[in-house]
Amino acid sequence: MSPHGYMPRNPAASYRRRSQSLMRLAAVAAIILLILLYSFTRGRSSSSSSAVSIFSLGLLGASPHHDFQLETVRYYDLSNVQGTARGWEREERILMCVPLRDAEIHLPMFFSHLRNLTYPHRLLDVAFLVSDSKDDTSGFVTRAMEEIQNDPDERMHFGEVSIIEKDFGQTVNQDFVSRHGFAAQAGRRKLMARARNWLLSAALRPYHSWVYWRDVDVETAPFTILEDLMRHNKDIIVPNVWRPLPDWLGGEQPYDLNSWQESETALALAETLDEDAVIVEGYAEYATYRPHLAYLRDPSGDPDVEMELDGVGGVSILAKAKVFRYGVHFPAFSFERHAETEGFGKMARRMNLSVVGLPHYTIWHLYEPSVDDIKHMEQMKREQLAQEQAEKERAEKARKLKENFGDTTSQWERDKANLQNIAAQAKQDAAAAAGAAERDAQGVEKVMADSGGKKEAKT
Amino acid sequence: MARPLGAVRLRKANSVTLTVGVALVLFILFFLMSSSTPDFSPARKAAAALHPLSPPTSPFRKSAAGTKLKPPPVTRYNLNNVTTTSRPLENRENILILTPMARFNQAYWDNLLRLSYPHELITLGFILPRTKEGNLATRELQTRIAKTQTQSPERDRFKSIIILREDLDPSLYPLATQDEHERHKLANQKARRSAMAKARNSLLFSTLGPSTSWVLWLDADVVETPPTLIQDLAQHDKPIITPNCFQRYYNSKTKTMDERPYDFNNWIDSDTARELASKMGPEEVLFEGYAEMATLRTLMAYLAKEDGEEGRDLHEEVPLDGVGGAALMVKADVHRDGAMFPAFPFYHLIETEGFARMAKRLGWEAVGLPNYKVYHYNE
Repeated sequence: MSPHGYMPRNPAASYRRRSQSLMRLAAVAAIILLILLYSFTRGRSSSSSSAVSIFSLGLLGASPHHDFQLETVRYYDLSNVQGTARGWEREERILMCVPLRDAEIHLPMFFSHLRNLTYPHRLLDVAFLVSDSKDDTSGFVTRAMEEIQNDPDERMHFGEVSIIEKDFGQTVNQDFVSRHGFAAQAGRRKLMARARNWLLSAALRPYHSWVYWRDVDVETAPFTILEDLMRHNKDIIVPNVWRPLPDWLGGEQPYDLNSWQESETALALAETLDEDAVIVEGYAEYATYRPHLAYLRDPSGDPDVEMELDGVGGVSILAKAKVFRYGVHFPAFSFERHAETEGFGKMARRMNLSVVGLPHYTIWHLYEPSVDDIKHMEQMKREQLAQEQAEKERAEKARKLKENFGDTTSQWERDKANLQNIAAQAKQDAAAAAGAAERDAQGVEKVMADSGGKKEAKT
Repeated sequence: MARPLGAVRLRKANSVTLTVGVALVLFILFFLMSSSTPDFSPARKAAAALHPLSPPTSPFRKSAAGTKLKPPPVTRYNLNNVTTTSRPLENRENILILTPMARFNQAYWDNLLRLSYPHELITLGFILPRTKEGNLATRELQTRIAKTQTQSPERDRFKSIIILREDLDPSLYPLATQDEHERHKLANQKARRSAMAKARNSLLFSTLGPSTSWVLWLDADVVETPPTLIQDLAQHDKPIITPNCFQRYYNSKTKTMDERPYDFNNWIDSDTARELASKMGPEEVLFEGYAEMATLRTLMAYLAKEDGEEGRDLHEEVPLDGVGGAALMVKADVHRDGAMFPAFPFYHLIETEGFARMAKRLGWEAVGLPNYKVYHYNE
C-alpha cells in the first residue's frame, strides 16, 4: 500500500520522515474513511426510507449517476414472515384480498371501511379481483384507490395495490335468491373458489406474513379488526357474521352459516354422497346438525372466546400467509364433499393447522332483502293495509251503530215524552178547567224542556 | 472532503504517495460503481415495475439514493390477456422456472444458461432449506447469479430471479441431510415428500404473480435437457406435460457409458393400485417403485423406445395419472385454479403424484413424452 522506498539514515531524519509518511497515510486513510462513511450513510438512508432493506442482497449500490437502475434479483427468508400475535410492531405485511363482481353499489361503503382500518396502511397490500362485471366496478376501484394513494395524509397510503381482471364466464346471477338458492350452490361455490385462487396466486408475495379476505358487503366492522383477529395468533381465524333485519323479521339474524364444527351426522352424510357432491350449510336438503358459530353468539359474551372450526365462511378471514404457501386453498372441486371456504377450512385441518372462530366478536353484513323478503314485505304491506281498512270499517260501523243507537234513544225519549204529554193531557182533559189554548202551549213547552235536558245529559 | 488538511499535507507530499492516494480513491470509486448492476436496454427498463412492492416475476426500478419512495402506484392486470399457447415465443409468453434446491450443481446452472428461449422472458425461482448445506448452496447460487445478471451480455441475463429460504424446521426435513440411498427408503418417503410438497407450494404461490403463462418445474439435479426444452414442451399445448427423466451411468458390463430410467413417478394407473388404495387408511400413501408395494402401474420410464427403434417418435404422447417433478411443464392456469402439491395424502397420493390427481379433479389432464429425454445427475 505505501511505498517501501525509504531506509532510516539517522535517527532524526528517520523520525521526521516517519512522521511525514504517517501523516500521508493518515490523509489517505481519512479520504477512504470519508468515502466509506458517505456510501454507508447513503445506503442506510435509502434503505430506511423505503422497503428496499427487505431485498438486500449486497447488490444494492444505487448509483446517482443514472436515472434509475434495474434490480433483477430478490432474496427472501420465509422464516421471517411467519406471522406473530403483534404483527404491527414487527412490520408484518398483510395481503388484503377482495373478490368483486358487479359490486359498484357497495364500493363507497367498502372504501370508507378501508380508510378507517387502524392497521398501518403502508403494511397493507390490497388486491382486488374483478370478474364478469357488467358495471364499472374496476373503474370505480381504480379511481378510489388512486385517490387514497395520492392523499395528502401519508398515513392513508397503502402498499402495493393490484386490480386484477379475469372473467370466468359465470352464469349465476348475483342477486340474493340466485346466489343462495340450493340448486345453484355447488356450481356457484366452485366458481367463487376459482376466483379466490386466481386472486391469491396473482397477489401473494414472499414478504407477506398474513392474508386477509374481506367481502365488500360488510356494513359494520370494528376498525381494529385486523389487530383484534391477529392477537389470537391462529393460522386461520374468523369473526361471527350477523346481519341486521327489519323489526318485523326480528331485528337481527345470523348471516354466515359456513363457519361450523364437524358433526357425526355430517360425516356420515358425506360418506353416502357422490365424489363430486358438495355439502352446503343452511339448506334443508342437507341436515347436518353441526354446531354453527353464528348460533352460539351471546351479545354480552367475551369477544375473545374461541371456538374450533372445521368449515369457515369467507366474509372476513384472517389467515397466516404460510397457510397458503403450504398449499391450502379454496377447492374448486369437491374436497371431502366441500368446496370454497368450507373446503378451505377442511383442507387446513387436514394439514393440522388451527382453524378458529370468535362466537362473540361480531361483524355485520349488509341486509339485502331477498325476493322472498320483498314478497313477504309486500304481503305484510297488503295485510297492514287490509287491517287498516278493516279497522276503519269497524270504526265506521261502530260509529253508525252508535249513531243509530243514539237516534233510537232520543226517539224513545221523545216517544216517552209524548206519552207523558198524552198522559198529562189526559189528566188535564179529565180536570177540564180553564181555556184550552193556554193549556196546550204549556204542554209543548214542558216536552221541549224535558227532551232538551235529556239530550244534554246524554252528551 | 478533508480538503484543508489534505491540501496542506499533499502539497508537501512526494509524487509517489500522491499517485498511490489517487489510485486508491479511483479504485474505491470503481469498486463502488461496478458492484451495482450494469445498465439494461430501454425496452427492459420500461417494462420494469416502478416500485419494489411488485410481482417478483418483474424486475423493479432501484430508487435513486436519498430520494423518498412514493407510495406504490395502483396497477391493473388483465389476466384475460395472459395467453398460454403452443407458440410461446411469438406470443412473448412469460415462463417461470421453479427449482427446489438442496445442493448446487454447476451442470444444472450451465444447462439452464443454455436454454434457447429468450432469457428476458424467463424468471427463475429457487427455494433452499435453512441448513448448512442450504447456506452453502445459496452462496454458490448467488455467486453464479451475480455473475450472470451483472457481467454477462444482456441476452444471457434473466428477466428476474427470486431466491427463497424455507421456513420449515430443518430437523423435520430430511431431504438435505440424507444420501441418495437413505432418501429413497420407503419409511422416509412420506415425511420427505410432504416437506418437499410444502417447499414446492411455498415457491409456487410466492412467485407466480399476474403475468406468468407457463411454469416449468426443473429439479436441481437435472443436468441435461435439449436447449429448446421450453418450446418443445409448449408446442404440445397440454395443461401438464413431462418429458422422460433418465440417468447416464458407466455400465461396467459393457464398459461403456449407458443410460437408465430414473423418475418412476410418471405412471398410468392400474387396477392393482386402485385396489391397494381402496384398502388403505386415510393417512396412508401409495408410493411407486418399492417392492413392498407392487402397484403394477405402467411406468413411463419403461415406455421409451430405443434410439433407432421402429416407430420412435420424439413427440409421442401418453396420458398420465401420476407425474414426477424432475421436469414438468404446467400451464399457469392449472396452478391458479388451485392445483398444488398436496403435503397430505390426497387419494393416497402425495406431492407431484397428488398434484396430477388434484389437477384431474379440476378438469386438467397430464401427458408424458416417453421418448423425449432429460437427464438426472448421477451421484
